[in-house]
Amino acid sequence: MVQATLTALADDTRRSVVDLLRHEPRRASDLAAELSITPQAMSRHLRVLRKSGVIREEGIEEDARVRMYQLCPEPFRELRGWLDEVESYWVTELDAFREHVEKRRGKRG
Amino acid sequence: MTDRVRVSVTVPADPATAFALFTEETDLWWRRGPRFRASGRTPGVLSFSPGVGGALSETFEAADGPRTVVTGTITHWEPPDHFRFEWRAINFAPGESTTVDVRFEATQGGTRVTVEHSGWSSLRADHPVRHGKDTGAFLRTMGLWWGELLTSLRERA
Repeated sequence: MVQATLTALADDTRRSVVDLLRHEPRRASDLAAELSITPQAMSRHLRVLRKSGVIREEGIEEDARVRMYQLCPEPFRELRGWLDEVESYWVTELDAFREHVEKRRGKRG
Repeated sequence: MTDRVRVSVTVPADPATAFALFTEETDLWWRRGPRFRASGRTPGVLSFSPGVGGALSETFEAADGPRTVVTGTITHWEPPDHFRFEWRAINFAPGESTTVDVRFEATQGGTRVTVEHSGWSSLRADHPVRHGKDTGAFLRTMGLWWGELLTSLRERA
């Protein structure tokens, strides 16, 4: 899952889309215009982002033809979880190191 | 704020002693088991060979004979204050690596040891070369971008 998120985001345009969606949900046509790419190209990028679970689409009440895109928080929470794991790894190692230093000091003293 | 994890501990020794114990007696304190060592549960020895270009490596008896796995390559060596190495886990693809920075600062009654592990945003399926970009520049952009994103998401949470 983390890998899918990173793959989806290893692209400048898709990262720009995520940046825009951080502020508010947008239409595909707005996103294409903002980033100066064709609606077809935007549609391909949105599909990749949607499939990897980074964004989701929603309809609006006023117009059934319009799709709005917004960020999904879950993949970012997973990334945060990954960072937390790296952190817990080093907390464990440094605890072990501190115990070792204390033991050595005991022997020397 | 970038894509980094920072962890500190204070140990009851001066920086020179802490640096020496960290890098010379690594095998005695580094945790054992598959989470912490490439050798998994097989008995082995994990050590730093000092100096720039030196390695953090593990030697153990594998099913097909003795094996040495290099986890890190030292890129900066400045005892007793600081050293840094490139960290590659065994499942990393070519071109993927992260950086571990270790600092030793004298504090009241001991030394504050800080480990900063950064660059994990490089660990993705797409290799930057495919995008026709300089790897370093790509990682820096990605790192900053991830850092900002995670910070903003945390602020919102």
